[in-house]
Amino acid sequence: MKQSKVASEITGKVWKIVAAPGTQLAEDEPILILESMKMEIPVSAPLDCKVVEILVAEGDTVSEGQAVAVIEG
Amino acid sequence: MAFEKELEAFQRRTEAARAMGSKKRLAERQDAGLLNARQRVDVLIDAGTFEEAGLFARSIRPEAAGISPTDGVVSGFGRIDGRLCGVNAADFTVLGSSSAEVHGKKQAFVRNAAAQNGHPVINLMECAGGRIPDIMGAAGIGRAGEHSRYTRTRTTPTLSAVMGLTYGGGAFACINSDLVVMRKGAVLAVSSQMATSVAIGEEMDPQDLGGWRHHSEGTGFVDAVVDTDEDCIAWIRKALSYFPDHANATTPVAPIPPDAEDAVAGILDLVPEHRGKTYDMRKVIAAIADPGSVLPVKDRFAKVAVTCLARIRGRAVGVIATNPMFKGGALDPDSCDKIASFIVLCDSFNLPIVFLADTPGFLVGLESEKRRLAGKIMNFMAALELSTVPKVALILRKSFGQAYLNMGGGKSDTTASWFTGEISFMDPAVAVNIVYAVKREDDPERFEELAKEVAKETSAYDLAAPFMAHAVIDPRETRSYIARQLDIFSRGLTNGVGAHRLADWPPAF
Repeated sequence: MKQSKVASEITGKVWKIVAAPGTQLAEDEPILILESMKMEIPVSAPLDCKVVEILVAEGDTVSEGQAVAVIEG
Repeated sequence: MAFEKELEAFQRRTEAARAMGSKKRLAERQDAGLLNARQRVDVLIDAGTFEEAGLFARSIRPEAAGISPTDGVVSGFGRIDGRLCGVNAADFTVLGSSSAEVHGKKQAFVRNAAAQNGHPVINLMECAGGRIPDIMGAAGIGRAGEHSRYTRTRTTPTLSAVMGLTYGGGAFACINSDLVVMRKGAVLAVSSQMATSVAIGEEMDPQDLGGWRHHSEGTGFVDAVVDTDEDCIAWIRKALSYFPDHANATTPVAPIPPDAEDAVAGILDLVPEHRGKTYDMRKVIAAIADPGSVLPVKDRFAKVAVTCLARIRGRAVGVIATNPMFKGGALDPDSCDKIASFIVLCDSFNLPIVFLADTPGFLVGLESEKRRLAGKIMNFMAALELSTVPKVALILRKSFGQAYLNMGGGKSDTTASWFTGEISFMDPAVAVNIVYAVKREDDPERFEELAKEVAKETSAYDLAAPFMAHAVIDPRETRSYIARQLDIFSRGLTNGVGAHRLADWPPAF
């Protein structure tokens, strides 16, 4: 199993973390939700994977391209 | 029999030319699950209709005459679902289908004949790059330019498949196409990794240099990715079905599937009522279009924008939409390029455009500004304003600011909104922050009060009152509404043919 980082595609604020480390996700299932452009924008699993680590906390501001989670899959 | 010797020689020469490259190379391809050039033509073209041009062509260098049957490209004309098309199918088993004088002359012959007589062109490409020694020396490179024509005036649809290692001239032929499909494992690049490593000392994996991920997600040069040679050809055949033979003809009309009106009835379940929640616009498009008719274009690139070919009641259309599922539907610089290029495609071949907007606006921020967002918004708008095909603009939920105009609002033949529409200069919540310097977290009560105030007169009915929206519709009527508008704005005076003011838009994406 290969570990990789998932990056935010947009600058915004971390609103809610929905998948804690250890959670198994299918492709396109949300890891966390950002608030940006007054929208709730999910950062989703790019493939079927397990969440290894969440690199941000709720309320943090993240930039476009910033890694927000480590996954394994 | 008279002419016995000549007939025998003719037969021998024909067989030798049709045999392509060495048996070893042909066997290697077969073992790798790849079709050879003639098999590809057979899969693409209706049986018995291929008219080959240049079977006896070969390299201009006498010493290479025996090893250059067809000079590495199977060229000619044939029918695809009954429609006459020009075809250039690279034969990689012959000198890597490398670019050389006769090789290029054959491809140009097909392209020119097709353009002058109104036939689509299909390129099934592989290319090792320029052929050495043919193109070496002053005269070599000079000859390469003597007969080439790189400008593309979008007279007839040109569809290309990247089906193997495709460098140099082969890559340029694909780039100069209206749509490009790529087989996984193929490579598209200006220069091979071998030449690259020698020229600049950079070692790399060919897939990083020009593989399917690079081009479908990074550059956007490739419109679709498939697994096999057969899939490439099937994609080309399907894509062609949306296009007319040439720019002065209208698109073919397909039969309407029997259950075509069913899916739109469930459209209200596809869009969340909460204005801040995201959803997948592609599901909405699938519900509006004839079942099975949606052909995504650049679906892995700049996903905020959805561009696809589809049919509505049998009529081919181009759909341009924002997808709230990605970046909340906020249009970024790449999505502007993607949409502008798709407008050019549709306008050049008389495909009406349907805009579906649900966007909080253009994606502002440092990164967007660095990537020249302002210029890209204007290019997108220029393409929109210069286009002359019928355009129907529909607002689904929100459409704010300049993005409202770019997504066809007031810039189309007709503009309408679902009853859920919300239209303004910017999101009211943002405006409260800016105008009154009040944040929700600091004073929720005051914030809500001001937000209500700022949100006044932003409904679909407020756009309809001054007749800026020509209709407010129930989402379940979307499909029939669009179909009726396309009937009304049918460009009858020119038989559905546009002015093609975008035909000379820069050739590359």
